[in-house]
Amino acid sequence: MSSALARDLAAIVGERHVSEARAERFTYAMDGLPTHRRVPDLVVLPGTREELIAVVRLLAALGVPFVPRGAGTGLSGGALADQGTVLLVLTRLNRILQIDNANRRAVVEPGVVNAKLGAAAKPHGLQYAPDPSSQTACTVGGNVAENAGGPHCLKYGVTANHVLALEVLLADGSVVELGSPGGEPWGPDLVGLFVGSEGNFGIATKITVRLTPLPRAIRTLLADFTSIRAAGEAVTTIIASGIVPAALEMMDQSCICAVEDSVYAAGYPRDAAAILLAEIDGRNVDGVVAETEAVTEMLRKSGARSVRSAATEVERERLWQGRKKAFGAMGRLSRDLVVQDAVVPRSALPHVLETICTIAQNYGLVVSNVFHAGDGNLHPNISFDATDPALKQRVEAASAEIMQLCIDAGGTITGEHGVGIDKLRYMHLIFDAESLGAMQAVRRVFDPRELVNPGKVVPIHACREWTSIRNAKFGMRNDTTGFNSAFPIPHSAVEVTR
Amino acid sequence: MTILDKVTALLGEGAVLEAAPDRVPRVAPGSPDAVALLLGTAHQEGWRVRIEGAGTWLQSDAPADIALTTRRLDRIPAIEPSDLTATAEAGIGLDQLRQQLADRGAWLAIDPPGLAGRTLGSVVSTATAGPLRHGYGPIKDHLLGVTFVTGDGRMVQSGGRVMKNVAGYDLTRVQAGGFGAFGVIVLVHLRLRTLPRADVTYVLEGAREDLTQVGEDIAAAGLTPAALELVSPALARRERWVLAVRLAGSPALVAADEAGLGAASGGGRFAPLRAEEAHAFWMRLAEGFAVRPVTFRIGGVPTASDELLDLLQHQLGDEWISASPAAGAIRWTGDASIDRLQRLRRTLAGQEVPLTLERAPWPLRGAVGHFGAYREGVGPLVAGLRRTFDPGGALVVATEGT
Amino acid sequence: MTEGRLGFEGLDACVHCGFCLQACPTFLATGDESDSPRGRIELMRALERGDLAVTDPALIYHLDRCLGCRACEPVCPSGVQYGHGLEAARARITAARGTTLLTRAAVWALTTPGVSGVVYWFARRLRSVLPRGIAGWGRIRFALGMLVATKGDRGRDEAVNGGRRRATPTASHRPVPPRTAQLFRGCVQEGLFSHVHEATKRTLSVNGYETREVPGQRCCGALHAHAGLLDEARVLARANIQAFGDGDEPIVVNSAGCGALMKEYGHLLGEERGTRFGTRVRDVTELLAGDGKGPVAGAPLDLHVAYDPPCHLLHAQRIGAEPLKLFAAIPLLQLVPVQGAAECCGSAGLFTLLEPEMSRAVLETKLEHLRHAAPQIVASGNPGCLMQLGAGLAAAGIHAAVRHPVELLDDSYRVAGRYE
Repeated sequence: MSSALARDLAAIVGERHVSEARAERFTYAMDGLPTHRRVPDLVVLPGTREELIAVVRLLAALGVPFVPRGAGTGLSGGALADQGTVLLVLTRLNRILQIDNANRRAVVEPGVVNAKLGAAAKPHGLQYAPDPSSQTACTVGGNVAENAGGPHCLKYGVTANHVLALEVLLADGSVVELGSPGGEPWGPDLVGLFVGSEGNFGIATKITVRLTPLPRAIRTLLADFTSIRAAGEAVTTIIASGIVPAALEMMDQSCICAVEDSVYAAGYPRDAAAILLAEIDGRNVDGVVAETEAVTEMLRKSGARSVRSAATEVERERLWQGRKKAFGAMGRLSRDLVVQDAVVPRSALPHVLETICTIAQNYGLVVSNVFHAGDGNLHPNISFDATDPALKQRVEAASAEIMQLCIDAGGTITGEHGVGIDKLRYMHLIFDAESLGAMQAVRRVFDPRELVNPGKVVPIHACREWTSIRNAKFGMRNDTTGFNSAFPIPHSAVEVTR
Repeated sequence: MTILDKVTALLGEGAVLEAAPDRVPRVAPGSPDAVALLLGTAHQEGWRVRIEGAGTWLQSDAPADIALTTRRLDRIPAIEPSDLTATAEAGIGLDQLRQQLADRGAWLAIDPPGLAGRTLGSVVSTATAGPLRHGYGPIKDHLLGVTFVTGDGRMVQSGGRVMKNVAGYDLTRVQAGGFGAFGVIVLVHLRLRTLPRADVTYVLEGAREDLTQVGEDIAAAGLTPAALELVSPALARRERWVLAVRLAGSPALVAADEAGLGAASGGGRFAPLRAEEAHAFWMRLAEGFAVRPVTFRIGGVPTASDELLDLLQHQLGDEWISASPAAGAIRWTGDASIDRLQRLRRTLAGQEVPLTLERAPWPLRGAVGHFGAYREGVGPLVAGLRRTFDPGGALVVATEGT
Repeated sequence: MTEGRLGFEGLDACVHCGFCLQACPTFLATGDESDSPRGRIELMRALERGDLAVTDPALIYHLDRCLGCRACEPVCPSGVQYGHGLEAARARITAARGTTLLTRAAVWALTTPGVSGVVYWFARRLRSVLPRGIAGWGRIRFALGMLVATKGDRGRDEAVNGGRRRATPTASHRPVPPRTAQLFRGCVQEGLFSHVHEATKRTLSVNGYETREVPGQRCCGALHAHAGLLDEARVLARANIQAFGDGDEPIVVNSAGCGALMKEYGHLLGEERGTRFGTRVRDVTELLAGDGKGPVAGAPLDLHVAYDPPCHLLHAQRIGAEPLKLFAAIPLLQLVPVQGAAECCGSAGLFTLLEPEMSRAVLETKLEHLRHAAPQIVASGNPGCLMQLGAGLAAAGIHAAVRHPVELLDDSYRVAGRYE
């Protein structure tokens, strides 16, 4: 990439906010999933919305592809920029523009850190409910791009349920407003379409989110089990009872020990096969108390060895910190880590968890499970040493087998981490060619030249092949011309992304 | 060969129903694949297709060569009470779906306006949420995924049938509230709740402003009703405005909220409705929106609700109105001219409040459009989506109006 | 640390989760991954692997801009030893490029026996004639502001060194036999904050410790270690170990930066006696807090105090609760909460001189929060922080004085008549 471009960009954002040096670009080569590594050609950190727009317009005019990035805590390689691509870092766009107490909403720039929005809402008796485990670091813009979840999404819903309106900067540098402050779409629900599009439809420059009242009563329970199956069955029982816990999280023994060895030690019993962290909250204290009793009873009946209730806010916080920092604590187990993210129907949890154990044993690997049990959203993490190539291959094979297991159980390949580049290889396992083609076509409605975050989400290279394979299956269709065409695609993106 | 002959050859005689009142041939494919075949052919032949469900909501009057009705897509392939998910075909009537879910102890927490037999596909494609949106969110919050057929006959799946899913772009969101402009929904994966063991409704009559205050007090008191609906006298068939509060959930939670209700009612007295009274009340409310010629919804911020109600009353008269003030959602039904609707839409647009036309006779619908004009820069995106999902323009939907 | 990977192995546990980002004052100032712990770990790893040359200007630039506050360590779920990695990387860089003239001059002037005494004498003379308003944002005026901030509070500097404050305290209020502690005097602390040493001795005495002076002690070596002059730091460490002897009594330190390094002499030297020495080192607040009971209560002081925990106390030594016990022992004193109190003030030893731009950027955020909290006094247990904060507050026109926490306890005891 030419340093003439760097100079032009520096003219917009200031010299110190353009990184051209190899060392600096190195630091942007990974996101939260270091198994993927791509060194960007150029890194730009615009400081204002206007600078961002000017930068995108310049890149669009030159036809240079670019990748938006927030805090880089994503877990699918979604914010990595390849050669020939400019990385747009949005951390400096971190202003909370408005907190509308009466209407319970906030307007923020994309670089605002999730937990900081929560902290700003708190004095108003409000919260921003989606709470990904990385919330102390991740940005709301990234949350929107990935449709981030989190433990408390079981009751409160994921990011998509909380975004009301967006100002979006499209790849061609134009700005559109989607949605309305009240949340009613203005025409088709383009806000809903944009959330979770992994940066492929443009950059959200202003985000209007819904805030929810803080619960007045919270009870956090820690239940420990001597078998993973029993814990899984407890989850099914609670969900089927109709009580919707604010969160229902599971952690297995290897994960418990990693957390207990860390600064976030929460007092989880090390000898438990699994623990469940259940939280009941609500605006009505009596109701919360009654539901907590019911859940406690269900946990006991499902075979919990003990059920402990957090006595103080400090203890509650400690129990949660242990859960939320568990992923980071895995660094204690080994040098490298593959973080998986699959979802299965909740009733399939006991079977799936046991089979994952078997798969791990067959490959001689350590798999630690820490996940959102109430949603059926699994995070099997495989610890390994990437310097051993044979081991790395076994990890790949085991990962693929786990994915197939979850799909066979009626599940999906990602519940909250996104596809990025990491899950590209699994997309064809759950979507047929038409569906992938449709996604690709929609992407090109927003970004015909595929300039924003190229090469993510949809495995385009194989799209056309799959289309023809599928069409061949439908005899009728082959008789008629017109069916064989892929979705109308405005431009060939291939040469642009080169 | 006439269109009808071709359709019969393609899908068999069973798929051809009695023509619609406007003599447009009515075709009812019996499977999602049949929908794909039909639309594929329509695309090739250049037929214009209008989409219908049970025919109880949107008027069956759009100019078209055939009317595709989903009413034979009425299977429920899966109900998983322990997972709280279900998969249903788009043509299933809501009443039937509800019954089958209830038999398994499950509940779809939506109560859209319309008659009881309104199809699931109709509700999803128009995103018409009822009073339960207060407690359980808009229609899209109940969807895990959909399968739809594009205007040129390709079958596309999006989402899945698990609680969380971020694999691929969320095309479900375009279908929910797309009014069929981006394809025909054939299969819906739903997120369920357990059938509430307690479900009670209270009503309070009074002046609108007083009831609005009570509504705010209820929220401030920390109560979490499933519905908190403000209903105009004409619609409620009462003397004055009615604030209806529905509490649903575990007996403990409902009992706790009931106790708090009295304190929050600001001197007035909430009257409990017996179960059958409550059923009739909500039913009447839903059906009311399917009988007058024009129905639309608007969505503003909660604090604007009062002002918006004033505006509606002022511009269109004190008709049938139902509002969920805390959700900022208002639905109006009655009779209105093209001119008045367009004027109202312009006024509302100035306040950043979208007006979505839900039902209207074709002449009005065609002119005003479900959505009207888009905001700057959005038009090309919507047009692009339409080209993507209906390249031949086979689907007759009044999106923008003329 | 003298063999193998020299500290780089402390970085192996990093899985790139990014939980450190928001704890890093320099990342908060620039939003640039290259100015974050995670980014710097990548730089250090690349340096160790040989992917980046030790002379790489961008690598040096961003590692130089690290405050070394180690706020990233306590938030790290994997337990990455960032500080060790940084020392190793800086040692390599220093070995290759040598020390910059400014660093060399500053370390020489501030820590060399015979030289520093003169420097501090001049400094004390100078500060006695400088008004608080001299502080400004330019290099020189900020430095002068830092100097003014070293005055004992409320212009009572003279009273501290003469008159009744010198009075030997009466009998201890803690049970006999009184325990003894060895006082570490340091260089900046001794040269400009001797009143803090006095306060330390008096308050410890009230709490059952008799302090002993230790001849032959030297600078702790922290400024050298942070500048990558590890060999010089080791020489000083050995001299101190020699001077303080083989006893068991605690070595009391009232400068967080010194204490942090002295506790890690074992790591620095890779020797057992260093480790043993380290276990004896105690921050003054640790000793005063006793076994959790907290210090003897003093007389009420009607003050609003903002506590600004020094990074080398909170993050490096993980001492968070003990200083609060000092404030709790002063009736009426009210601690005002300050947003981001745990974040670095930008002082970081010589950093404020060597990287003024980043240092001021970090300080700016801190000052904003302090302006909002509006305390009468900002208390911090490290000379560098007191100087940085004092200069910053004065330059920003915020009317709050800076004090070491033991000074406040000392005042409280004096009012209570414990020294009469």
